[in-house]
Amino acid sequence: MLLHINAFHLDIDSKQFSFWHFLAPKTRVLCTLLLVFAIALTPNGRWWTWGIYGIGVLCLVLLSKVTLPVLFKRIAVEFAFVAVILFGTLFRSGGEIVWSWGIIKITSEGLTVLGSVTIKALLSLLMLNLLTLTTSVPALLNGLIALKMPPLLVAILASMYRYISVLIGEFNAMRRAAASRNLTGNSGWQRQVIGNMIGALFIRTYERGDRVYQAMLARGYQGVPPVSELPSGGKRDIVALTLTLILALLGQAIYLV
Amino acid sequence: MHHNPIFIENLSYSYPDGTQALKNINLTIKANERVALIGANGSGKSTLQLHLNGIILPQEGQVRIGEWIVNAENLREVRNFVGLVFQNPDNQLFMPTVWEDVAFGPMNQGLRDRELTERVRKAMAAVSMDLEYYGKRNTENLSGGEKKRIAIAGVLAMNPQVLVLDEPSAQLDPRSRRELITLLKGLSITQLIATHDLDLALEICDRTVVLSQGEVVFDGKTEQVMSNTDFLIQHSLEAPLCYSRPYCLLGDAPKKVIPTLQELTHHQH
Repeated sequence: MLLHINAFHLDIDSKQFSFWHFLAPKTRVLCTLLLVFAIALTPNGRWWTWGIYGIGVLCLVLLSKVTLPVLFKRIAVEFAFVAVILFGTLFRSGGEIVWSWGIIKITSEGLTVLGSVTIKALLSLLMLNLLTLTTSVPALLNGLIALKMPPLLVAILASMYRYISVLIGEFNAMRRAAASRNLTGNSGWQRQVIGNMIGALFIRTYERGDRVYQAMLARGYQGVPPVSELPSGGKRDIVALTLTLILALLGQAIYLV
Repeated sequence: MHHNPIFIENLSYSYPDGTQALKNINLTIKANERVALIGANGSGKSTLQLHLNGIILPQEGQVRIGEWIVNAENLREVRNFVGLVFQNPDNQLFMPTVWEDVAFGPMNQGLRDRELTERVRKAMAAVSMDLEYYGKRNTENLSGGEKKRIAIAGVLAMNPQVLVLDEPSAQLDPRSRRELITLLKGLSITQLIATHDLDLALEICDRTVVLSQGEVVFDGKTEQVMSNTDFLIQHSLEAPLCYSRPYCLLGDAPKKVIPTLQELTHHQH
């Protein structure tokens, strides 16, 4: 799979115009985090709460005009990873036994946990994908800095974003060079060659990191990346945050009455 | 502007593995001089250039930049004084957008808001790049020539008094190379250009320093060394293409070498 990564665009919907897009990046990050935490921290089995959150997330998806096929495709890929963890939750003990086969038992508790975690994961992934689809990476990084994330951490994220395509390019160049010298033979040999390539890539990454750091020093870098003044949010951002907060509280309140 | 921006005295440097990279270098560069630094691979060009910015500190001898001696205390001033343009722009363009990358140096100098915008605008204008169009673009999605220009803009934005370039014309297509030559010619700032492109050196630098195995073996007029083919070959170099190629048109020939048509006809009479 690693051999077929092409240039990818994270933020295909960042140039749209909608209420969501007019919000400052930091507000978008805050709204997303608020909703994700509300979704994830809701105790298992509170289906109505997630119903309310689900309506909220769905409204946001429609409002932000994201390209739905891309959104669903990404969620499908991410779910392949989540499913591994989800599968483990199914075989919990406790509650009534719904179905059993030898030592494998599926209980009502297991089903509740599975359903809850699936919904949590689905809604959270929807929100996070919505954020990354609609916000360009530089804007996202600016948002993180505005939210007082440690600048060094943001700098690491920024250079990761900057150099990932360089790395992919280097790897593809090596792969092409190997192919042009007729890399064939059994898969064991191929695996060994790819292993060597990854090793070479590691060394090159290290050296390049060193040179990048020298280039940073040459332009007066002193350990902490400079931060520019960022525009603070307007009225619209306050409205958005308030609405998100109300939604989060409303979902929790439904089980209090 | 400082009248004597670079002064190097008895500089020697060997790498941790024992390789002697520089041996007893003495070099002075005056204000507004454009000096070519040529030499084979591994002759010490890059090592010498890294000294000028304090990326490598002198082991023996002394480097003085303007009025500052290069040592750990003066790094900030030295780096504001000397702008270093790296060979591979990918090493130098590390911020997500072009604007942020050009603004990186001035922001480290403490500039903000209007001053910062003004610096970035001027630097982009100096390399003839449209800030409106390129500012928001990702540094990764540019062509090689564009990357090179942005890398130079990022250094010019710091308002250095000396520009040190490592292989500026490497990997550029002929038009980008020509644009680069025009750009460097137009900058009234002291320049030290390490290059294998001897035609470029001949075209824009009056003075040339030849390094061979870490030593300065020639320091003088560019035309003088470029026409000495034996000397160049001895130091793993070659005469510039424009010297070794037969003239396709008589008009392209240097004036002094071939007598003009009038002179020829005059002699016949």
